[in-house]
Amino acid sequence: MTLLADIRDYPWKGLLAGLLPARLAALLPQRFQTKSAQIVPPASVAGNALTVVIAIMSFLACLTLGAVYMINQSATAWVNDIASEITVELDPVNSADIEKKITLVSLFLAKQKGITQVKPLSADDSAKLLEPWLGQGSALQALPIPRLIAVEIDRSNPPDIQLIKTALSENFEGVVLDDHRRWQAEIRTLTRSAALGGLAVLGLVAAATIAVIVSATRSAMASNREIIEVLHFVGANERFISREFERHFLGLGVRAGLMGAAAAALAFLLLPTMISMLGGGVVTAAETQRLIGSGELDLKGYLLCVLVVIVVASLCMVTSRLGVVRVLKNYA
Amino acid sequence: MIRFDNVGLRYGTGPEILRDVTFHVHPGSFHFLTGPSGAGKTTLLRLLFMSLKPSRGLMFVFGENVAELTAAGRSALRRRIGIVFQDFRLLDHLTTWENVALPLRVMGKQETDYREDVTDLLRWVGLGDRINAYPEVLSGGEKQRAAIARAVIARPELLLADEPTGNVDPAIGNRLLRLFVELNRLGTSVIIATHDYGLMEQLDAPRLVLYDGHLQVR
Repeated sequence: MTLLADIRDYPWKGLLAGLLPARLAALLPQRFQTKSAQIVPPASVAGNALTVVIAIMSFLACLTLGAVYMINQSATAWVNDIASEITVELDPVNSADIEKKITLVSLFLAKQKGITQVKPLSADDSAKLLEPWLGQGSALQALPIPRLIAVEIDRSNPPDIQLIKTALSENFEGVVLDDHRRWQAEIRTLTRSAALGGLAVLGLVAAATIAVIVSATRSAMASNREIIEVLHFVGANERFISREFERHFLGLGVRAGLMGAAAAALAFLLLPTMISMLGGGVVTAAETQRLIGSGELDLKGYLLCVLVVIVVASLCMVTSRLGVVRVLKNYA
Repeated sequence: MIRFDNVGLRYGTGPEILRDVTFHVHPGSFHFLTGPSGAGKTTLLRLLFMSLKPSRGLMFVFGENVAELTAAGRSALRRRIGIVFQDFRLLDHLTTWENVALPLRVMGKQETDYREDVTDLLRWVGLGDRINAYPEVLSGGEKQRAAIARAVIARPELLLADEPTGNVDPAIGNRLLRLFVELNRLGTSVIIATHDYGLMEQLDAPRLVLYDGHLQVR
């Protein structure tokens, strides 16, 4: 009930005017305007240094959240990609007529339920897959490279992989089916690790923000002790006094959060250019792209940055309120 | 309204500043609180305003036992009391108008509802041309009047004033006394701590005399 009453009685109109710079606040409709100055002077609460510190915290939080989001998006796309495909590998050593065997296995696979496409890879295609590691040349052709058949499966009506595996091993010698489960598990582990790492960084950022705000609240209350005493004398209760302080911290959180989020959004916008400028060759670029995609955030990613602003502002407001109430307990 | 039974007060482990103070203040009454310097007048006012707690004895304000009050309860009672401090306690970053309007703002009233009342009161106490001035440019007497205006703007049930005419000339002093009397006629109980015998002689009101920590009602 207290919380509901608090929300109902909150001076929302005055808050809007308080959050905006004076010039913008003057443009608000008359009902949002107030003639009176703020009881606690803004300059005595939120200095530039504090704004910069909170802005940096927001920037780090946005970067972490954005990076985890990009890795997650990239990994999801990768998992989706490999989960809709299985690979059949034919051992070239134990097969006299490999081309005939490929045709037979392909025909067998095409007849199975839940398989939408069977694509045998030529010897050249298989060799090309190894080129990044073994290079070009005649040595590659001399190696007994396994032949591959790429099989696309219907994800809405998937085939019984185990049944196909058994049938292949019974009917063909030296044929192995890989359903990429090991890769999917490893990608999921990587994604979870990145998310956990991101959570740890976000936790540290939140803890540092809380510590900074607690310290700033105490400092603001110490420098405004006379105002607090006068407010007590005119009958202000804890809620009124804490609001006078928390509105400044909310404004600080919104301003600093927006600054940090804007800087992070700019960093994400420039990331693809930065990756290409840093160089490292085609392979490095390809690996980076595999890990974090194109390096660009989509709309959901930018919405996460907005979420960071809201969380930072709320954190500033709630922390300062709790800090003020705690200090007020010591007043008569 | 106010009841003190054998109230004593000491700071820390020091000697008792007030001893066995017993008195009643009835609704609508007018009292002067007097005594030599250092007798404990300001301390007694601070007790009445609940910014100090008695070391012993019973103290009731508006029927509430002060010892059992929560912080919220204390704030609620303070809204029914107006107080004028010897050192004015005006906020330097607020204008005279904003300082006087502070109790109404704390009560959650809309500015449009009290704008005229505050301006009228400031004119009445002779600060009509100092409405937008900041305390640092006000004279001692002007600050005194602004502090009094702040104490009475919310029509308190009890008004406590510590040397309210100490910094003003006799004409303004008489005018302020008339304001207190007028408030008293409207139902506000008034306790004025003063050395000013000239002020006390203008009004036939009971005197609470503090001497050596003891209080006598005359």
